[in-house]
Amino acid sequence: MRRAFLKSAAAIVAATSLLGGGAFAQSPAEFYKDNVIKWIVPYDPGGGYDDYSRMIAPYLEKHTGARVDIVNMPGSGGMKGAVEIFNSPSDGTYVGIINGSAMVTNQLAEIEGANYKVGDYSYLGRIVSDPRVFVVAANSGIDDFEDMQSDGETAVVGATGLGGSTYVDAVIIGDVFGIDQKVVHGFDRSGDIRTAMLRGDVDAMWGSLGSALKGIESGDHKVILHAEKEDRPELAGAPSIYDVAQQTENPERSLKILRSWEALNAVGRPVAGPPGIPEDRLAFLQDAFMKAVNDPEFVATAAESGRDLLPATGAEMSEIAKAATELEDDIKALFVRAIRGEI
Amino acid sequence: MTIIEGMASGFLQSISLAVFPYLFVGSIFGLIIGVIPGLSGHFAMAMAVTFLYQMEPAAGIGFILGAHATVAQGGGLTAILFSTPGTGQNAATLLDGPAMRDKGEAGIAVGAAMASCFLGATFGAIVLGLLIPVLREVVLFFGPPEVVVLAFLALTFVAVLGKEDMTRSLIAALLGLLLAMIGVDNVTNTHRFTLGSDRLADGLQLVPVILGLFAVAEMIDLWTRGGSLARHAPEALSARDTQRQIFRGIGEALRNWWLVLRCSAIGTTMGLIPGLGSAPAAFVAYGHAKQSSPDRDTFGQGNVKGVIGPEASNDAVEGGALASTIAFGIPGSSSMAILLSGLFILGLDTGPQMLNEHVDIIFVMIFTIIIGNLIGTVVGMFLVNPLSRATSIRASIMVPVLMAVIATGAFAGERAIFDIGVAVVFGILGYIMKVLNYSRAAMLIGFVLGFAVEKNLYLALLLDGPFFVIQPIPLGLAVVTVVFLAWNVWLIIRDKKRLIPHGRRS
Repeated sequence: MRRAFLKSAAAIVAATSLLGGGAFAQSPAEFYKDNVIKWIVPYDPGGGYDDYSRMIAPYLEKHTGARVDIVNMPGSGGMKGAVEIFNSPSDGTYVGIINGSAMVTNQLAEIEGANYKVGDYSYLGRIVSDPRVFVVAANSGIDDFEDMQSDGETAVVGATGLGGSTYVDAVIIGDVFGIDQKVVHGFDRSGDIRTAMLRGDVDAMWGSLGSALKGIESGDHKVILHAEKEDRPELAGAPSIYDVAQQTENPERSLKILRSWEALNAVGRPVAGPPGIPEDRLAFLQDAFMKAVNDPEFVATAAESGRDLLPATGAEMSEIAKAATELEDDIKALFVRAIRGEI
Repeated sequence: MTIIEGMASGFLQSISLAVFPYLFVGSIFGLIIGVIPGLSGHFAMAMAVTFLYQMEPAAGIGFILGAHATVAQGGGLTAILFSTPGTGQNAATLLDGPAMRDKGEAGIAVGAAMASCFLGATFGAIVLGLLIPVLREVVLFFGPPEVVVLAFLALTFVAVLGKEDMTRSLIAALLGLLLAMIGVDNVTNTHRFTLGSDRLADGLQLVPVILGLFAVAEMIDLWTRGGSLARHAPEALSARDTQRQIFRGIGEALRNWWLVLRCSAIGTTMGLIPGLGSAPAAFVAYGHAKQSSPDRDTFGQGNVKGVIGPEASNDAVEGGALASTIAFGIPGSSSMAILLSGLFILGLDTGPQMLNEHVDIIFVMIFTIIIGNLIGTVVGMFLVNPLSRATSIRASIMVPVLMAVIATGAFAGERAIFDIGVAVVFGILGYIMKVLNYSRAAMLIGFVLGFAVEKNLYLALLLDGPFFVIQPIPLGLAVVTVVFLAWNVWLIIRDKKRLIPHGRRS
C-alpha cells in the first residue's frame, strides 16, 4: 500500500509540474486560455465561503478563459486551506478564498499552525466583508444599548471558541465601552448561541449582519449596536459604535482601538493566491476578478440569493491586510490578549 | 396554508414528475455513497449541494434530502456483508449483522435491516409532521444541562453493551472518553494530547476512527485467519435462497414491530438533541433491544433483533435532526448545516417563516424521507445478491480490495492522508481489542459522547452554576439515569447468582 501511495504521489507531482511550469513567452490571456485555475475553499461545501465561491466561479471563467475547479479543504478553522494557498505554486493557477479576519487574529496571536503572512498573499480582491452587529434576544428584557448599560444587571454574552470573531468582538468592544457583561464561550457554532438566546440562557451576541438577519426579521433578535459608519435600513434605531465612542471617557483611545478593530473586520473574505505570482498574470487575474464581481449577471444572482456584496480591488486588499497586521504596540497587545482569552 | 393543505400539497409535489425523478436519483446516489465505507451522509449532501443551483425548490429538496436519507441503508448492507460500517451510524449493526452472515443468514439480516430502516425513517418523519405545531418548544427543550444528563444516560448503556465483562467495557469506554479529549480544547485553547502535531490539534475525526476500529480490524483478522468473509457458509447462497431469506428478514422486522417502534422512538429523540448525532442513537437502541429481550444471551451471536434495533433507530434519527433546522434555521449537525445552505441556494427561508408559509415544503421533506427510504429498500434488495457473492471471495483478494476502499473512505472526508494513518492505528488497536475481548462499541460510545458531555457540562456550569442538575427537567432525567443504572447493576448481580450454580460461568 505504501508503495502504491508513493507512486501516486509521484504521479501527482509530475503532473502538476508539467501543468504549472508551462512556457514563459506567453501573454497572460494566452496562458489562462483553456488552462485550469484551482480555487481552494478552506471550509466544507455548503457554507458561506463555498457559496460565494461557486457563485462567482462561472464569471471568473468567463473573464479569464480558464476553467475554475473548486477544491474544498476544511480543517483548523480555515487555517489548513489558507496555508495550502500560501504554499501553493505561484504560477497563478492556484487561488482561493480565505477567512481574512480570522487569519489575521491567528497570525497576531501566533497560533500554532498559522504558517502564513496575511500581508504577503497576492490579492485578487475581496467579494464581501460582513458588517458586525451586536444583537440581543427579544425576550432578554434589554431594549437598547443604553438600557443594557444602565439596567444594573450583568448581561450574558455568548461566544464560540477563544479567538473566534464572536469572542474577540465581545471582549474588545466590551473593554472599550466598559460593558457590564459576562462572556460565556465554548459554543460549537454561532447557531448554538442563537438557540441559547431563544432559550433565554444567553442575552446577547456579536455576529455578522448577514447571519443575524433571519432572527431580526422573525422578531426573535434585535440589533442594539453596530459597526457601520453609514446608516443601513436594517440597522435603523441602533447606534453606531463610532457615535457611542464619543461619549466614552477617552474618546481618542476608544476610536483608535475601534479603527484597528475595523481594519481587522475589513479584511473580510478576500480572494488570494500565494506570494510571488508573476506581475502580469496577477494584474490579469485582478482585472478579471473585478470584472466578475461587477458582472451584472453575477450581481443579480447574488441579490437573488440574498448574499451581500462589498467588493474591493486587489490593491486595496493588500493595503487593508497590511494595515490589519501592523498595529501599534499597545493596541496589538490588547488584541493579542483578547484573542488568547486573557481578558 | 393549513397543515392538512400543506400535507396534501407536499405529497402531490413529491410524487409529481417534476420532483420524483430527482428524488429517485438522489436516493440511489445516497444508497451507493452509503455502501462505500467511510463516505457518510455528510459527504453525500456535500456532493449533492453543488447540483442545486439549477433546480426548483421541491426538486432540489427531493434530491439532496433523498441522498441523505438513504445513506444509512446502504451502510447497513456493507456492515452486514463485509463487517465494515458503511457509515458511522451502522457501527452498532456490526455487533450482530456479520454474526448472522457467518451463520449463512445474510439475507435475513439484510431483509430485516432494510425493512427496519424504512419503518424507522417513516416513524421519524411522521413524528416530525406531528410536532410541527409545537416544533419550536420541542427544540428549545434541550439546553446544555439537559444534554449533559441525557449524554450520561446514553453512556450508561455501555453497561448493557458489555455486560459479559463490565470491567473491560468500562476500561474501553473511559479510553474512548480520553480519546475525545485529543485536540485543542474549545474552552481554554489548551492543546491536549496533540504531541505538537497540527493535525491532532483538530481532534480525531469520527470516520477514520470508526473505519479503523471496525473495518481495518476486521481486515487484519480476515487476513490472519484466511478463508473468506462468510465464515461458516463457504458456498454462496443461490439467488433464489437469498430472495427467500430477504423476505423472511422483512417478516422478522414486521413481527418485531413493537421493538421497531421503541427503537425508532429512541432514534428520533436522540436526533432532536443537538450535538449527539446518530452513531450513539444506534448503540443505545441496540442496548435497549438487548436489555428488553428474553433471549439476550444470544445477542452478539447473530440475533436478528440486534440488527433490527440499531437499523430502525439510525434512520429514525433523520426526522428528529430536521426539527431544529426547520424550526429556527439553526442546524444541529454538520449535515444539517449543508442542508440549510442547500435550502438557501434554493431560495427557501427556514424558521418561523417556513412554519407559517411553506408547510408544504416541510411535507415535501417528510415525504422525501419516506419515499426515499422506500426506494432505498427496494433497490437495496437488488444489490444484496451481487454483493453477497463477494463475501465468498477468498481473503487474499478481498482484503487488498476492501483496504483500498477503506483508505479512500478515510481520506475523503477531510482530504487528509493523516486520516488514513488514523484508520490504520485504530485498526491495530481494534484488532488487539477484539482479540483481548474489549468492547469496541463501548469505546466508540465514550469517544462520541465525550465531546457532547464535556462541552455541555462547561456551558451548563457557566450558565446555570454548579447546581444545574437541581432544575426540574435535568433532575427528572438524572433520576431516570440513576434508576436505569441501578436496574442494570441489579440485573448483573441476579444473572451472576443464577448462572454460577448452573456452572455456566467460571
